[in-house]
Amino acid sequence: MNALANPEVGKYLETYFVCAFQRVGTFRIVGKAKQGGNVATYFCAPDGRVLHAVAGPVDAATFLREAKWVVETAKKGIEAAKKDGASFKAFMRTAHAERLRNEHGLIAEAVTFDPPDPQDNDGALTYRDPSGRPLAPVLRPPPIDGPDVKFRLQLEAAAAKAAQDGAALLRDRHGRGWALNNQGRVHVLMAAHAMGQIEKLYGSVFEGILGERISTRPVEVVNPFPWVGRDAKR
Amino acid sequence: MRAYFRWSLPAVMMLGLTVPCQADAVKKPANNAVCGDYGTSVHFEKSPSDAARRALKEEKLVCVLHISGYFEDPDYT
Repeated sequence: MNALANPEVGKYLETYFVCAFQRVGTFRIVGKAKQGGNVATYFCAPDGRVLHAVAGPVDAATFLREAKWVVETAKKGIEAAKKDGASFKAFMRTAHAERLRNEHGLIAEAVTFDPPDPQDNDGALTYRDPSGRPLAPVLRPPPIDGPDVKFRLQLEAAAAKAAQDGAALLRDRHGRGWALNNQGRVHVLMAAHAMGQIEKLYGSVFEGILGERISTRPVEVVNPFPWVGRDAKR
Repeated sequence: MRAYFRWSLPAVMMLGLTVPCQADAVKKPANNAVCGDYGTSVHFEKSPSDAARRALKEEKLVCVLHISGYFEDPDYT
């Protein structure tokens, strides 16, 4: 990830974050070309609850903007919530819903209350590793109301940008389809599940948004032309 | 004239040798300031749980990267 080589990003992360990495997927190297593979960044509280995520590789400016947004929003949330965890969670989810509206032109209602939900890990709605072991639940996104008509120009610009970024189709509650890029889909997810544990969320980001398989298998190197170079060695 | 060269030539050569060293000495702290792990400018803890422990102690947030392949090897990331 080139963004992490940027000194300004490094300085900001060192000031406000403690960083770690985890290998959750793999890819294939066929000849010299890489097939698959991706990266997701999670900004979490020390107890593992996710405040925000960045799906896929981004440039240094975008990474810094997202990191600063987390820090500033968390500061405002702590001030507004007055040490009440439920209020802080509602504040963060509402902040994601607001960003979805302002930057992507879609209105989704933030889910500010989590009903008790006994998780069925044996059911079909679970991300699994290649051996079939349940990894993380498939998280249900909040209902999307549709476009914000007040931001028509922004919506058009966002749709054009999303088309360039490789957007995916999302259905609103009326069944209409909307193109949304990875970061927009992260905000949709976070409007309903921010402050959820990273173990619950990572499947929805890595498999649900990035379309990668969660795997602990090693990187597979495939040489489709094994005879190339063999003659040179003789 | 020969006596002049006998003293000035070694002095010029010594100056030539020391100037690059001084330039390096000035540059090094700047490089160290952004030097991180695995070709980044960020220091990574061994695991997310180590990062969480340190974050709790230092009152910081945790940044966890989920990656495909081996982060330690740029060819396999």
